[in-house]
Amino acid sequence: MVALPDWMALAPALSLALASLVLLLADSVDPDTTNTGLLAGISVLGSLLSFGFAGWFITAGTGMADSTGVALFNNQLVVDQMALFFMAIVGSVTTLVVLASYDYVAEHSYQAEFFVLVLLSATGMSLLSAANSLATAFVALELVSLPSYALVAFLKENKGSVEAGLKYFLIGAVSSAVLAYGISLVYAATGVLRFDGVATAISSGTVQTIVDGSVQAQAGDPAVPMAILGVGILMIIGGVAFKTASVPFHFWAPEAYEGAPAPISAFLSSASKAAGFVLAFRAFAVAFPIGDLLAAGGAINWVMAFQILAIATMFIGNFAAATQETVKRMLAYSSVGHAGYVLIGLAAVSGSGEGLSLSMSAGMSHLLVYGFMNTGAFLFIALAEYWGVGRRFEDYNGLGREAPVACAAMTVFLFSLAGLPIGGGFFSKFYLFQATLNVSAWSLAAALIINSALSLFYYSRVVKAMWIEEPTGSRTIESYPMGLYTAVVGAALVTVLLLPGFNRVSEIAFQAAQLL
Amino acid sequence: MSNPWIAIGALAVVALAIPLTMMAVSSLLRPSVPEQGKRTTYESGEVPTGSSRQIKFNIQYYMVALLFVVFDIETVFIFPWTVIYSDAAAEFGMTTALLPMVVFIAILAIGLGWAWRNGAVQWVRSPRATKGADTYE
Amino acid sequence: MAAFTYAPAIVLLPFVSFLVALFAGDRMPKGGALAGITATGGSLLLSIWVALTVAGGAVHNEILYQWTTSVETLQLNFGLLLDPLSALMLLIVCLISFLVHIFSLGYMNDEGETGLPRYYGGLGLFTASMLGFVVANNLLMAFMFFELVGLCSYLLIGFWFRQDGPPSAAKKAFLVTRFGDYFFLIGVVGIFATFGTGLFAPITQGGEVVAESFPMLAEHAIVDGEVEGIAMLETVGMGPQAWFTVLGLLVLGGVVGKSAQFPLHTWLPDAMEGPTPVSALIHAATMVAAGVYLVARMYGFYALSPTALAVIALIGGFTALFAATMGLVKQEIKQVLAYSTISQYGYMMLALGSGGYVAAVFHLTTHAVFKALLFLGAGSVIIAMHHNENMWDMGGLKDRMPVTYWTFLAGSLALAGIVPFAGFWSKDEVLYEALIHGFGTEGGLGTVYLAAYAMGLLAVFFTGFYTFRMVYLTFHGDARSDTARDPEPVRWNVKGPLTVLGILATTIGFINMAPVAKLTGAHIDFLHTWLSGPEEGGWPELLSTDLHHYEELLHEVPHVDPAYPLGGEITTLLASAAVSLGLALAGVLVARSLYAGADPVEHTDKLGGLKTLLMHNYYQDEYQVWLATGVTYPLARVMNKFDQGVVDGVVNGISSVSLFGGSRIRRIQSGVVSNYATLLTLGLVLLLAAFGIMGGWF
Repeated sequence: MVALPDWMALAPALSLALASLVLLLADSVDPDTTNTGLLAGISVLGSLLSFGFAGWFITAGTGMADSTGVALFNNQLVVDQMALFFMAIVGSVTTLVVLASYDYVAEHSYQAEFFVLVLLSATGMSLLSAANSLATAFVALELVSLPSYALVAFLKENKGSVEAGLKYFLIGAVSSAVLAYGISLVYAATGVLRFDGVATAISSGTVQTIVDGSVQAQAGDPAVPMAILGVGILMIIGGVAFKTASVPFHFWAPEAYEGAPAPISAFLSSASKAAGFVLAFRAFAVAFPIGDLLAAGGAINWVMAFQILAIATMFIGNFAAATQETVKRMLAYSSVGHAGYVLIGLAAVSGSGEGLSLSMSAGMSHLLVYGFMNTGAFLFIALAEYWGVGRRFEDYNGLGREAPVACAAMTVFLFSLAGLPIGGGFFSKFYLFQATLNVSAWSLAAALIINSALSLFYYSRVVKAMWIEEPTGSRTIESYPMGLYTAVVGAALVTVLLLPGFNRVSEIAFQAAQLL
Repeated sequence: MSNPWIAIGALAVVALAIPLTMMAVSSLLRPSVPEQGKRTTYESGEVPTGSSRQIKFNIQYYMVALLFVVFDIETVFIFPWTVIYSDAAAEFGMTTALLPMVVFIAILAIGLGWAWRNGAVQWVRSPRATKGADTYE
Repeated sequence: MAAFTYAPAIVLLPFVSFLVALFAGDRMPKGGALAGITATGGSLLLSIWVALTVAGGAVHNEILYQWTTSVETLQLNFGLLLDPLSALMLLIVCLISFLVHIFSLGYMNDEGETGLPRYYGGLGLFTASMLGFVVANNLLMAFMFFELVGLCSYLLIGFWFRQDGPPSAAKKAFLVTRFGDYFFLIGVVGIFATFGTGLFAPITQGGEVVAESFPMLAEHAIVDGEVEGIAMLETVGMGPQAWFTVLGLLVLGGVVGKSAQFPLHTWLPDAMEGPTPVSALIHAATMVAAGVYLVARMYGFYALSPTALAVIALIGGFTALFAATMGLVKQEIKQVLAYSTISQYGYMMLALGSGGYVAAVFHLTTHAVFKALLFLGAGSVIIAMHHNENMWDMGGLKDRMPVTYWTFLAGSLALAGIVPFAGFWSKDEVLYEALIHGFGTEGGLGTVYLAAYAMGLLAVFFTGFYTFRMVYLTFHGDARSDTARDPEPVRWNVKGPLTVLGILATTIGFINMAPVAKLTGAHIDFLHTWLSGPEEGGWPELLSTDLHHYEELLHEVPHVDPAYPLGGEITTLLASAAVSLGLALAGVLVARSLYAGADPVEHTDKLGGLKTLLMHNYYQDEYQVWLATGVTYPLARVMNKFDQGVVDGVVNGISSVSLFGGSRIRRIQSGVVSNYATLLTLGLVLLLAAFGIMGGWF
């Protein structure tokens, strides 16, 4: 086997970046191009390549040789199993989204820009998966955010879209500020930005510095001010909560998801959320080891913070979803609820910090499955928007008769989201449930069960409308867009296949979490 | 040795004093002829649009500003790089020293090229801005 | 072993034919029949290959696919277990299914039926599920395919869903067997909870056991007293034997339902509403056989529990007699056959319960052949009679359809148990085993065996009678209707399968002529050898599913031993054979004297009240309906009240609280972005304050 150079470990991110540059070049050659096929083709190729690389590296076992993975640029970036796992999620979701966008943007101007922004944002997500320092994480996070603000406001003529984009931007700015401030406080307290350095500072209790790439105690052994560190960590939690649309930073999500073009809603609610979580997983597992934090005392018990956030997010997301009138907004809130489920990954940890790898791998697995089912559900909304079906539940009445394949796929997504054993969502929720039981976190387990039951109620409203209700008005479906259909059916297929294949996913996730 | 901060403080005092004196002197000497053109906000020679309370500029102004930032950042990175280039090339070989910067500049160039081709530097006068300019010329 | 590598294809081929028939059946000639024939033919060839490999001494027990690993104490798998028992069953199922597919060309295609893709799709899936069930190496997989078999029977029995009868018969079949399967499911869960595995046979690698099977674990617990590993026993607070009996009886619930044993046999006669080839498949090889096969498959588990054995034997003996009496008075040819099936499976259960493992498997084999033959023969008659099934409208078909007559006669002789046809050898062995074990076993179990034996013996007479009543009424005498005078001719695709099965029904008994073997001392009891394996080593050592092991278990745990009441072994053997043959012949002769004339009359009226009782099947249906409407329904009403009032009240309360809460939460989302920023900041400050106070930052 040919040994690739180390920097090739970033190939999943690089292929996305390269594709966006190629797109820019193509658009420079012919700025007025409306050749959507070419543009979408380049994007699909790039994102597929990214997914392919990630998949290849996972199977080839890149970054599994030791616990550190492939360290790049003085440990600023680390490509390990966890990074690859999330790169695979990002790659697959991006593929689905750009594939589906082919039909969606065909009628709009600025097509190249659309794809470039999606790919740049995806590049940021991919990089974020590998970020091993608060600085790189912040830069990557901004690379994720900035294009997505523009993407939400992509429908320039649509007031809702523009308004959503602005709101998203404003809340995003506030949250970025909070995150940056948190990072600066952590830096002030520990003297380092690199995750492993922060961890050393916490465990040793002295401020560290990095000399020639290795972490050392600062001269004079100044002690880490735990209170400042605690405030910093809490603010980082805030930044993460924004990206993952968790309470109380979730306010932007319903508006942005509803106003944005549906493929972008899919992208934001799946890939962007996954990117937020990878930052959370890596930062809190590596940089802020809970055992050392509790031992040092005086700082923060972030597990408890995540428990509060998880429960609040689950309840607020699902309860609000239950009373929505439009399908897209319902999905938006349900996506908030799902952030709550994934937060269990950081919350189902025992008092002494045990059970983290199990719960984190459960969260990761749920994110992967969720990446497909949620993307698929939003893409179905894109399909409905394309057909001119209305936004309310009633508008979906009898749609199953006209588009049985797509509606069957949607049914798979919704039931899988609810956790019925029709798709991988069943196992991933079950796995999360197991993780809560593992550490006897009864309140989390109860919240998970109650909210799953509640979610079945509002998901089945859509299913009922599609299959059981009589169509109200006359509605004719003229065309069946290729790209969207392929993406929706593909996502449904993967969702179902993840039912038998979940075992492999959870294995990889568990391995990745254990390596951290 | 005296405290080095004294010199800095003195410099600051002088820096403040010069413009203040100049403004004071000119206001004593000049004749007062108020007119609209003088009272508009001055920003890089751009004609503002809309009312003077909420100052708005032609969007292209921001475009150019953004492009300027691109070059600005480019300079920030290139400058230290040029300083250490010969040493680095001697120690690590030319490719290692040169290639990353070439890639960096290439990325910026692609962005610039795209912006250029898409008309970011093409100066279109909006009718409103032109109209405003007509009134006082 | 190459044959084992291809073994999954045995199951997959019919499944592919199901897909082909379903999706492309419309566009194919014969509506997908050819795909089915090719697939089952291919499966048959592969099964022969597997059987030959197994005959060479090789066996196979392997996990193909594992669904779960996260729970370490419990593994759910798909796997293959290919040992002599499953290899034999594969042969039977493939052969019957293959012939049924060919026969269907005559029965369905030539009759111009519509919906053929659905029909052949159903047949393909039915075969595939049964084959999957046969090769399953663990209880859960077996259960899943067991359920699929049930589903397919539902689809096929209700094939003519536009008429009144078939859909309701299909529903009945589904619900009644489901009632049994409910217990089976609990049994499966119980076994998994108790042993942590559902494997039928241990999996070995290089002589080391890597995964133990539940019958072996149970055996260790009872024989060697190793109960430490079984935490469940403490939970339920029972001894191992008592608890294993409970588990065995729960699984038996599914068996009783599927194999149509008393009291869950009522679905089977109704299932005659389905197309006749389907009946042949259900009765001979697939659905009904599944129950008995399951008991044989986990015989090592049942052999540990005398109570379970007694229940099995008693149910079997009783069903054999009970169903035979109901068959006496039926007027429709397929009804007679239906009751004969119930009765014959009763014999198999009797054999399994009384320690006659070989006898049961033997009877399963022979019965598969002659019952398929009889059903296909009946199907041929039904084609000829333009779908009139009443035997009183037939008569005299002997000369007009000679192939059908002679093959049907061979099947009837086999069913009645007349020497040397297949049924004689197997039924005789069943009764003989019950007899000697009845005398040899101490205590209540022996008495139960003897009682079951007596019932089984009595049933022999009735079997002979109703079988030949059917033959005489259908084929002999004068034609009693116009259609019978001028029946529709049948083609090669009907006659071919009949001939093959006719020859088999005559000869298949020779694979295990135990009496002859005992008399002459020649080793011609091939099936016995086949199931017991080599004395030392070989597959019995690996899998412990061999006859020898079972006999040891029967001897050690429930103390089932043979004894010969009439002098020596040979005398007892001959006497038993003579008695059963005599009774069968007596039945035949009585039938002949009553119905052989040119113009037979209905003698059933002479039975008086008994006739009404028999015609109404002992009011079984009525009593079950009463159970449903008289007992269950009022109970359900009370439960409904409770459900509506208390449970729904709570649920509704919760849901209205949820919706109210939801609408409150919606209000927070005011749409004003500065509110959001405020709330966000407030939230953060709140968290900061809370954690600050907790962490003592201030």
